[in-house]
Amino acid sequence: MIARYFPIIKRERRAVVLSTIILLQALCAIFFIGDVIYDLSQGDHLDNLHLILEGLAALALIAGVIYLMHELRDLLDRMASMEFGLRVARGEMITLIESFFDHWQLTPSEREIAFLILKGIDNDAISKMRGTAQGTVRAQCTQIYAKAKVDGRTQLLSIFMEELLHVGEER
Amino acid sequence: MLVNDKIVSERLSARNIMVWDPLVRLIHWSLAIAIILNGVIVDEESSLHEWMGYFAVGLIGIRLIWGLIGSSHAKFSAFPPNPVAAIRHLVALSRGDKTVHLSHNPIGALMVYNIWLTVLLLGITGYMMGTISFFGVDWVEEAHEMAFNWLVCSIILHIGGVLFDTWRTGVPIVSAMINGRKRILEDSPIE
Repeated sequence: MIARYFPIIKRERRAVVLSTIILLQALCAIFFIGDVIYDLSQGDHLDNLHLILEGLAALALIAGVIYLMHELRDLLDRMASMEFGLRVARGEMITLIESFFDHWQLTPSEREIAFLILKGIDNDAISKMRGTAQGTVRAQCTQIYAKAKVDGRTQLLSIFMEELLHVGEER
Repeated sequence: MLVNDKIVSERLSARNIMVWDPLVRLIHWSLAIAIILNGVIVDEESSLHEWMGYFAVGLIGIRLIWGLIGSSHAKFSAFPPNPVAAIRHLVALSRGDKTVHLSHNPIGALMVYNIWLTVLLLGITGYMMGTISFFGVDWVEEAHEMAFNWLVCSIILHIGGVLFDTWRTGVPIVSAMINGRKRILEDSPIE
């Protein structure tokens, strides 16, 4: 189940790595700038090749830090909008499922079981979770499939999948 | 499977919002460690004390740049220094207001700027103590001392504020600074 959300978790890790690199590189940049300023104050001049190279290294590091900061912000923005989209989609999905359940006139316990079926939990686990006999769960499942006019678990799932994909095509 | 699903849905639920990006958190805890090391453990006369000082000032410099170009909750515009808003927030608190602020609350924002400025002041006076023209000058050393005392007071107030706001809003703020997410109770208004 965790795999479904893997993109978000992977991006979170990337944001952590990126932040660490930014921090270290920025500290290096500050060190080099400080060193250049110190050398200048000690009477060194900019025509000294060593100092020029040091200055260029500092500038390159600063440019890198600013660029990486922009990258990090973009990554964080993408993560935020992805989370937002998922939240909206979830809300819509729940509403859709509820409306189907209403339409099929499922009883409260059938609704609960139907939800668990949609979540991919098998009958054995459902009976354990609800503390009922396996036979009862099986009978309730049969009842749900009959009300939804489907042959079984896979077809029940496909009703919702089809609905989702359909919406995509229409738009 | 169920357990994983629960963790993931908690991460994504509408009231579990990513507020502190990793860079903010890294800088926060690095600064905290630097202050503790320099204030308590490292010998004041040592060159390590000086380097830790540069490190702390550098951290604040990086944070200031991030405040200009960073993520939405880390930007200065998310927590502008506004004494009027702070007073209004104080009045609201006395009325038992439970509004949750995604970024810093107005009083917390003032504390953030206060701590940054104090650390910068410590850095400047500390640097001056090492220069030839200010070496051994009394007022510089006193300023460094006073800035440090002020920093200790500020940190105590900061921790007190965090504990108070955790109690007031029910949002575990300490863990928000660790994993980046504020877990906000169902009925709390958000700002």
